[in-house]
Amino acid sequence: MTPTLADLDRARNIALDLSGWGRRFTFYQPRNFAFWGYLVLVGTGMFVSVARVTREYDAYGQAIALAVTSFAIYAALFWWFTQHIDHYAKLPAKLMVVAFLWGGFAATWMMAANANDAILALYAKSFGQSWALNWGAGLSAPFTEETAKGSRLLLLIALAPRQVRTAFDGFISGAFIGLGFQIIEDIAYAMTSASSQFGANQIGASIGTIFLRMVSGVAAHIVYSAIFCAGLIYLLGRPAEPRRVGRGLLLMAIPMLLHGTWDSLAAIAGPSALTQVGLLIAVIVIVLVIVVRVYELTVRREREFVRDVMTPEEARDVITAAELDAMAGNRKARKGYRKAGRDRRERKRTRYVLNAAYDLADELAAARGADTDRVRFARAEVGRIRAGVPSPW
Amino acid sequence: MPDPETDKSSAPSAPRFEPDQGWVPADERLFGVDRRTIAPTLAVFALAIVMSLVLPVINAKMPYHDIVKAGDVVQLQGEVTFVPEAGWGITSGVRAGNAPLSGEYPATATVQDKAVKFMVHTAPFDGDANKLLDQIEMTSEALNRGRGVHVAGAHTTIVTDQGKQGATARVTGPRTGGVIAAFVFNRRGVEAVATGPSDTGPEPTAAVFQMIRSISQPGEGKR
Repeated sequence: MTPTLADLDRARNIALDLSGWGRRFTFYQPRNFAFWGYLVLVGTGMFVSVARVTREYDAYGQAIALAVTSFAIYAALFWWFTQHIDHYAKLPAKLMVVAFLWGGFAATWMMAANANDAILALYAKSFGQSWALNWGAGLSAPFTEETAKGSRLLLLIALAPRQVRTAFDGFISGAFIGLGFQIIEDIAYAMTSASSQFGANQIGASIGTIFLRMVSGVAAHIVYSAIFCAGLIYLLGRPAEPRRVGRGLLLMAIPMLLHGTWDSLAAIAGPSALTQVGLLIAVIVIVLVIVVRVYELTVRREREFVRDVMTPEEARDVITAAELDAMAGNRKARKGYRKAGRDRRERKRTRYVLNAAYDLADELAAARGADTDRVRFARAEVGRIRAGVPSPW
Repeated sequence: MPDPETDKSSAPSAPRFEPDQGWVPADERLFGVDRRTIAPTLAVFALAIVMSLVLPVINAKMPYHDIVKAGDVVQLQGEVTFVPEAGWGITSGVRAGNAPLSGEYPATATVQDKAVKFMVHTAPFDGDANKLLDQIEMTSEALNRGRGVHVAGAHTTIVTDQGKQGATARVTGPRTGGVIAAFVFNRRGVEAVATGPSDTGPEPTAAVFQMIRSISQPGEGKR
């Protein structure tokens, strides 16, 4: 039976309700216990972090300035990239800031740093200093750091149950938690390097660490916690993501294994620098392959939502079937759609039409599927761009 | 495509009402707080307490068993070694010949006897022993701003068993006293610091100076 427009609109509303797409996020929720928990842990972590930087600034000011500047640019690039890949049912930017701050301050200073030091010392006492130097980091950080970062998702779900709905939401918010963790940890590493040569030659001592952390960071905390948090959503189950315990546990175990391998690279590779570099590259490649697979796995649900939200627009002839397929498809589908244009000008226009259609989808989500002025305007914009009429605005 | 004959609907012009994020259903309130948010928050707090309090306390309560035997030599980066006092505990660093699998010895080693700690750290450094001690003093002052443990008193000369000349000075702090020594072997700086309670007797001091004098680097001897 052919679905009516009413059926399609109903399906759109269900998709919007399930996905939480377009819902605004309010951070200030005094009646939410998680709000206070977040404030206490992030506030304390921030205080510890600022106190350390302030205390050491007089001694290692040059290295701190270099590290903060370099990693701020680095963070901005990753922030842009992570937001860029979240172009289906987007999460609110405010939620991302909340995730980033948790990763940076609560997970790093309040939880993982204390636990790592204690576990490393316990390993040294139990199995000897040499064993602890070989395997201590690889057998402590994956457990403490991944759980510290992942615990944020529990608070995030309690703070934003209407927004965090799918494994892909876990993937994206996990990436932002990991980004915060990585940036603050990198700055701490640079400060440690600055002190390594008695406080002399600070820039020389820390620049290598900064460079190495930037290169290795491509396949480190951001990726680990994205995979871990996607797994945690599968494990817990959400309204838009049925519980899949096996898949969840597997996705949570993978970043721990990768993290442990990464931290044990020197011990696994032995004294050969060449083997170490080879292993390092191999691990980065494996991590990137896995994260792409997890992205593809989790993003399917989001693409279904885009299709459900935009199918009524196709039925109303606002967009074409090809545009709907491109919107709800992967990068290859969008590229194929754009390349179908006859000439360069038309290909450019198809790209703009697609962007305007995504804007329309966001407006529809914000309006919970209603026909508001903003939605009608976004719809008119799709038509205007398709007709090649210049913008009056 | 939808059937135009049966299509009489159009989307509503105003969004459906949704309560704001801070609203809590009456049957989910506990003293005004959303009861559904209590369990996850407590779980996260429990994890934070285990990580930041329980594990450090367990670590603090567990004693070190790695005790120095006569003839043990501790090795650091750049082939720097020292002979720790028999009976002291190794709290960080490894013995010579017991390198980590990476082949790289750590830059720092610490041995401890009750409240007296002896730490040796090595890193590249351009300059002589006095310049290194000045650098350490400057960094320590910047970090402590006159508080905490800091270098005090004039530099004096110390010579190792290997014949290497270094610089030494007293360190003081609240209820803490000790000694610091600096050496530079072939552009490799070595800092040795011993700290303990101010009322420590003469016996640990003798042991500390013996450990400082045992600091060596084979390259230096060959030269």
